[in-house]
Amino acid sequence: MKTSDLKKLMLDSLGNDADPQTASSRIEEACGDYDFRTGFDERVMKRLEGGGEAVLREFDFVRSMNTVFYRIALTGIAAIVLLLVSMALSEGSLSFNTFLGLGESYDESMVYMLTGN
Amino acid sequence: MIDRTDNSADDSSLIRASLAGDTRAFGEIVRRYQKMVARTVRGMLGDSVFAEDVGQEVFIKLYHSLNEFRGEAKLSTYIQRIAVNLTLNEIKRRKRFFSTFSQKGNNEMYEYEIADEGTQEKREAAELVNKALQAMDPRFRVIVTMRLLQGYSTKETAEILGLPVGTVLSRLSRAQEQLKGILEKL
Repeated sequence: MKTSDLKKLMLDSLGNDADPQTASSRIEEACGDYDFRTGFDERVMKRLEGGGEAVLREFDFVRSMNTVFYRIALTGIAAIVLLLVSMALSEGSLSFNTFLGLGESYDESMVYMLTGN
Repeated sequence: MIDRTDNSADDSSLIRASLAGDTRAFGEIVRRYQKMVARTVRGMLGDSVFAEDVGQEVFIKLYHSLNEFRGEAKLSTYIQRIAVNLTLNEIKRRKRFFSTFSQKGNNEMYEYEIADEGTQEKREAAELVNKALQAMDPRFRVIVTMRLLQGYSTKETAEILGLPVGTVLSRLSRAQEQLKGILEKL
């Protein structure tokens, strides 16, 4: 089926007067049938029996990593924002010195230790 | 041709046998309905690496909820509801993740593996349908999948999705408009 014909078929199939069964059969004819990889039923049964975890280990791992990354990243962003807010409140500004932990106040005890006066 | 045979009577005996612990009977249910689930899941998720995962989850959830199946609806309708709900959950989860952390979207995770090897023409047609569906709003995508890939009438779609027929009709009309715009760009 030509691309233009397929596009027309898809659009016409959604019309009120279209017969859904005929439309879906024609789409199937054009695109082939949808199915899972061979042995799908066996993988489901293995999973039900508790022995099929390994089959999906890779996908589960990716999914877990996504979730973990998502949580760590959000927690990290929240911690950084809190730190910046607390620094701004305690120091009154967010200057470069504040980031480095260098206060603006003159420390007499440090001068005394260095100069002896 | 999509198989629309009424298996109700046969399904009931398979359900009874499955509940009694006959795993072969449940295996028969999986074989009988796996293509139907594949059309919904792969239609809505595309040929992504997670489609089979969701497909398996559908049957595992069915297995664990078989004792809650009252037989008021057909088994196929019950399975479709599970498939649609799990697929929509997966779409939400992926949308949340990819919109936050990835500029590329999830298209890179597709693996175009058409079950029916077919010709190059079939592959291109399947890819076009896939791309068009994936570009649609999930609310419309589910309606279009039920119509285009499953061949369900408006009434059947409404029953599966638990929506009034009027809502399905209005979404179909809006889906048609959206699909027109998408297909013009493809």
